[in-house]
Amino acid sequence: MRQKQIPNKARDTAMKNPTNSLKRRFSLKFLKTLMRIRKSRPPPSPSASSSWEIRWRAQKIKLAAYFSMALSVGSKRTWSRALTMKLRATMGNRRWSSWKGSKKMTKRRIVAKKNMEKRHLEKDMNSGLQQLRQLVPGGESMDPRSLLEETAHFVRCLETQVRVMRSIAEGFPC
Amino acid sequence: MSSRRSHSRQSGSSRITEDQIADLVSKLQRLIPELRNRHSDKVSASKVLQETCNYIRSLHKEVDDLSERLSELLASLETDSDQAAIIRSLLM
Repeated sequence: MRQKQIPNKARDTAMKNPTNSLKRRFSLKFLKTLMRIRKSRPPPSPSASSSWEIRWRAQKIKLAAYFSMALSVGSKRTWSRALTMKLRATMGNRRWSSWKGSKKMTKRRIVAKKNMEKRHLEKDMNSGLQQLRQLVPGGESMDPRSLLEETAHFVRCLETQVRVMRSIAEGFPC
Repeated sequence: MSSRRSHSRQSGSSRITEDQIADLVSKLQRLIPELRNRHSDKVSASKVLQETCNYIRSLHKEVDDLSERLSELLASLETDSDQAAIIRSLLM
């Protein structure tokens, strides 16, 4: 019986690098959300000032950026799935408190992590790995290899996000 | 994911090898601007991870700053519908 499997290398490469089409998808989603944010009004508040409104809007823009990126990456990476879930919960509750370092660890694959820590190779990397787990969405339950792979992809997507946001900001006619 | 037995000495395909880890770490090293030019092997894995964390944090900070900036720019869009039309045309 023939196995019709994509060889690991090709599949990994396809999943590895954020592409130009990702950049386009993200830019479009983000811009559309920006326009929607522009039309929105903050809830009426006695302390409302224009600087407060700017900060309120900045929070929405920040959320929109991460959400647009996570959606553009889709479900094919663990970090994007985890981030989408976190953001949906955050936006549903209208709270924005430290989602980046969520303390609610999924207990699913902590066992794998413990096995890894026994190996002496990772001893000096453990502290770094531990920090990465807090920084990469969904990192808490990843084995070290997946964590490193997801980190690489996550970093490149973050860079893309920053680049697009910067070019929008600089492209604004003043 | 195949389960891993911590006491197994078999080098099956499911076992994570040192080479794979080293490979991934060096790939990360190439991503980090701080470390990109130091192609020598002198950068330890833990340093790469540490710098990666710092880099991610700095990227988050940039997103914060850019969000603030975009918010101010959006506010200035309010008053000029010509600019809004330009942005809208970008989306077409």
